[in-house]
Amino acid sequence: MKKEKVDLKTDIGGIELKNPVMTASGTFGYGSEYDDTIDLNRLGAIVVKGLSLEASPGNPPPRVVETASGMLNAIGLENVGIKRFIKEKLPFLQTLQSPTIVNIYGKSVEDYIELASQIDDIEDISGIEVNISCPNVKAGGVAFGVEPIAAYNVVNGVREKTSKPVMVKLTPNVTDITEIAKSVEDAGADSVSLVNTLTGMAIDIDTRKPILANITGGLSGPAIKPVALRMVWQVAQKINIPVIGIGGIMTAEDALEFLIAGASAIQVGTANFVNPKSTIDILDGIINYLEEKNIPSIRDLIGCMEV
Amino acid sequence: MLQEKVEILWNKEVGGLYYRLGLKCDEGFADTKPGQFVMVRISDSYNPLLRRPFSIHRLIEENGNVRGFEILFKVVGKGTTILSGLREGGFVDVLGPLGRGFVIPENFQSTFIVAGGIGVAPLFFLASDLMRAGVDSSKIQMFIGGRSKEDLLCIDEIKAMGFPVHISTDDGSLGEKALVTEIVKNKLTNTRPDMIFACGPSPMMKAVAGIAEKENISCQVSLETMMACGMGACLGCAVEKKESSDKYLHTCLDGPVFDAAILKI
Ligand SMILES: Cc1cc2nc3c(=O)[nH]c(=O)nc-3n(C[C@H](O)[C@H](O)[C@H](O)COP(=O)(O)OP(=O)(O)OC[C@H]3O[C@@H](n4cnc5c(N)ncnc54)[C@H](O)[C@@H]3O)c2cc1C
Ligand SMILES: Cc1cc2nc3c(=O)[nH]c(=O)nc-3n(C[C@H](O)[C@H](O)[C@H](O)COP(=O)(O)O)c2cc1C
Ligand code: FES
Repeated sequence: MKKEKVDLKTDIGGIELKNPVMTASGTFGYGSEYDDTIDLNRLGAIVVKGLSLEASPGNPPPRVVETASGMLNAIGLENVGIKRFIKEKLPFLQTLQSPTIVNIYGKSVEDYIELASQIDDIEDISGIEVNISCPNVKAGGVAFGVEPIAAYNVVNGVREKTSKPVMVKLTPNVTDITEIAKSVEDAGADSVSLVNTLTGMAIDIDTRKPILANITGGLSGPAIKPVALRMVWQVAQKINIPVIGIGGIMTAEDALEFLIAGASAIQVGTANFVNPKSTIDILDGIINYLEEKNIPSIRDLIGCMEV
Repeated sequence: MLQEKVEILWNKEVGGLYYRLGLKCDEGFADTKPGQFVMVRISDSYNPLLRRPFSIHRLIEENGNVRGFEILFKVVGKGTTILSGLREGGFVDVLGPLGRGFVIPENFQSTFIVAGGIGVAPLFFLASDLMRAGVDSSKIQMFIGGRSKEDLLCIDEIKAMGFPVHISTDDGSLGEKALVTEIVKNKLTNTRPDMIFACGPSPMMKAVAGIAEKENISCQVSLETMMACGMGACLGCAVEKKESSDKYLHTCLDGPVFDAAILKI
């Protein structure tokens, strides 16, 4: 294990992480899946698969397809539900030194509020990531995250029910992401994480059918990195709470770009599938970079881009 | 489970679009079960981005120790084309062994092993394991089908194992001109195995599962689905269960070998 001489500590709004490398929801299971391949205790934080009030079966297959330098997924938020998570999955996470952040999603504001209150009493959950990319069933299925008032209402509801740090995960499928970011900041978010996947599709030209059973899916991986980076930079300039960068981070160099653009921490998603050791390789790469450049603290790097 | 860059011992073309890739791996594979698979990262580039799943075809042994394993693959697209060009001495990143393999019931009386095309890859491993475990060759019958004679692999080695091997091709270029499932159906009129093991393209798996259900014979099928991670993290590899509230199983964790009776295929 590497001696960490440089200071990697970073504040992500109510939680201080020992380093800025977290996992992205839905790409790291419930943590235990990666126990064989990496030292989970080295992670800045573990963000688990998105949880809903009740278990959800997810979408019919095919659910994933590779595209140029990326992949589309339409998992449909399959998960065990908050109760089984607490009973069956949390005990393992509690044995780790890395904090657990629980990602939640709902179909109504009430769902989000109920989830937040069920999590609030549990000491070993260090924070809540609110995924607002899901359709609001009551408002005709438009995603909460594309509409500033709907986004405000979800975050405000969650804020009132929990004293835990609230990180709001933003969707890139909007005209102006800074507007949504400001709205959730006003609603009391402690930080924002971005981006979730970009909606896309792929067609089988032989059958003339969509490849995914769900027709559309979310694009992730290296293909989306430049878009994600641009959005992180724009949001970081507009709000006063920490920004967590997500989208196509495969290497330490990618992660460093996000930090320089203004992210206080980063999440690694699709890269975990390609190389299960990605998070650790990225962390080691960041340490090497700081050492080589004689940068004593990661905080000296965050948002240091010169234009 | 192990993730490692492993050395390519050989990569031999075995006719047409098929290759045998030998990989050196001194650790981690000694207890591999037939039906388990590996995820191979074919190149360091982002195109193709994801690993590709391949069944373990056989273990490579030296003085009784497992020194690596072989995969048998067919060139079908981008990744397998690159894989076919890799040479001895090169390296690929391997994650495995993964998934659940075939479960061999105790004291079975007789079994049918049914292979379609590249589906022979894990079934060769299964058949050799059964022979090695001392199963009487009179208890096994194997059925191997393919589009054409070029799609029939390992035939001589399998015939040398000593049990009856029934060969068929769609075009009649070798063996009987019939679908492998037709041959199985015919054989069932005078023999009744207590287990069918099958691996092949999805329509064939569906047909075999249907036959087994109708005849009330236990059946294990090895399925292929799209996979992103191979280790339970992405939930991309769903297969539908028969009537149940937990609607889906996952090929990489619960399979790729499943009891056909629990699936809706
Ligand atoms: C558990 C498991 C074991 C397998 N074992 C073997 C094996 O022993 N030998 C072998 O040759 N092949 C095996 N396959 C299939 C193999 O993974 C695909 O042929 C391979 O991923 C194709 O990669 P490609 O880049 O060449 O094709 P692509 O360019 O990605 O696609 C070409 C075609 O292959 C299909 N394809 C792509 N990925 C998969 C996939 N994961 N499963 C099924 N079809 C796919 C696509 O639909 C497309 O039509 C296995 C698959 C699974 C899930
Ligand atoms: C298979 C898969 C499942 C995902 N599931 C979730 C989820 O449950 N909740 C969520 O907020 N984001 C989910 N995401 C989005 C990722 O967390 C991340 O925002 C996105 O993939 C972009 O990052 P990447 O390019 O590094 O993968 C998922 C992504 C993938 C690829
Ligand atoms: S392939 Fe990712 S969960 Fe099965």
